[in-house]
Amino acid sequence: MSDPAFLSLAQAAQAVRSGDIAPHALLHACRARIEHWQPRINSFISQEEHSGNPAGALAGVPLAHKDMFYRAGCVSNCGSKILRGFVARETSTALTRLDEAGAIQIGTLNMAEFAYGPTGHNEHWGDCRNPWNTEYIAGGSSSGSAASVAARLVFGALGSDTGGSVRLPAAACGVSGLKTTWGRVSRHGAMPLSASLDTVGPLARSAEDCALLLGAIAGLDPLDPLSAREPIEDYGAAIARRARGLAVAISTAWIERDAEPEIAAAVLAAASVLRASGARLIEVEPPDFDTLSAHCLVVMQAEASAQHAKWMRERPADYGSAVRARLEAGYAIPATVYLEALRLRAAWLERFCSTTLAAADLYILPTIGVRVPTLAQTGPMGGTDMPRLLAQVTRLTRWVNYLGVPALAIPCGFDSRGLPISMQLVGRPFAEATLLAAGHAFQSETDWHQRAPT
Amino acid sequence: MVAKQWSSEAIVAALAAQGIELAPARGERLARAQQSLLDASAADPLRAALVLDAEPAGFAAALARCKAK
Repeated sequence: MSDPAFLSLAQAAQAVRSGDIAPHALLHACRARIEHWQPRINSFISQEEHSGNPAGALAGVPLAHKDMFYRAGCVSNCGSKILRGFVARETSTALTRLDEAGAIQIGTLNMAEFAYGPTGHNEHWGDCRNPWNTEYIAGGSSSGSAASVAARLVFGALGSDTGGSVRLPAAACGVSGLKTTWGRVSRHGAMPLSASLDTVGPLARSAEDCALLLGAIAGLDPLDPLSAREPIEDYGAAIARRARGLAVAISTAWIERDAEPEIAAAVLAAASVLRASGARLIEVEPPDFDTLSAHCLVVMQAEASAQHAKWMRERPADYGSAVRARLEAGYAIPATVYLEALRLRAAWLERFCSTTLAAADLYILPTIGVRVPTLAQTGPMGGTDMPRLLAQVTRLTRWVNYLGVPALAIPCGFDSRGLPISMQLVGRPFAEATLLAAGHAFQSETDWHQRAPT
Repeated sequence: MVAKQWSSEAIVAALAAQGIELAPARGERLARAQQSLLDASAADPLRAALVLDAEPAGFAAALARCKAK
């Protein structure tokens, strides 16, 4: 049999259920790949083993998660020096639900310090590197999650997304990543960054695999006061709907004008694949990304800086330089500006749904409008162009968090340097099933998601 | 009326009032960045139509209202 680490999560779970493969064989395959890849990409923080319910739908499937999902009695460093060795007293709801589904957690994964950075740099735990080319960023803040899934070290991973932290690394590493609707997945026991924006979501090799993970973790949680009461769907079954009859909004002229040529060509080709699969494309004006991103940043900065105020007063030198600078910025956000951004949020959501999505089920655009940059370009020695480059990397993800809607990032090509290109499907609140169905339809016609770095 | 621009000194003072010590040589750059961010937020075309009873907690209801029928 070929290396079982190359099975999809859905195939691995099925193989365990049918008895075609033993869980220890999956574990062995993953461990062997971790040994090979870890020195190159630094995606794991710890290796451990927590077994789940052997009768669950994901029984025996090895996963690992961003080092910010608490497990009682275990360490969550949150990518930081300040919380190095922090032992959690309770287990996050997302991990509890994956345990109930039978998944095996085999480790914790590298991340940006306190999930506050879009590149995967980490001054305390070492930079996570892109498995397609280790000179390039893995994306952040769920850097280890995306890099580990891409290198086939695990079958899936949890990440968090406050301004793009699931989608950016998914895009840079060529995997599928789902930013869930705000409140769809419990944040209980997950390190907070910005309560108004934080979401928990899966990264995996395909939309189908994301659907299986979402099915395990989604739903109301009394332990998270911001958890949504909306009923969950059978996401695994929903992907069978495919793309026929879906209306897909797109801003073709804007993509051609705004995105780098290789990115634009790949995303427009992906839209054509959806159309060939039975979807209808509808031209729309692009949303006001810059205003929405500004509001997102105002909210994120104010909330993150309030969250970290005690440590910023008492031990600012224990933060990495980039994270300290981001936190400093939040103390210069006037309270009235912060509250006004929150008060405007409902109006912007309604405008998005009544204009961009007025006649469509989802909106398609690049996840990152520029090609994946290098670690050197975006690191501490990145030079004067670095802030502009980082702004370009995050420009197309933050607006989604401000609106609170779901978005699926999936690979749709490679650039001329061999780095992945990703598209983003953005839907109405709680329309995860629609996005996953469209993503699955696309991945049924293409093989970008099946390619793995060597 | 034109809003007063953030300056390096104002940033340092605002942070100091909250007990936050700014890293060395950060004031000028932070003042520019925050001015740009606050200008972008203030340029919001929906701001003028914001009604008195719009409140942050209304967002959760908007999510439910805007989901697919």
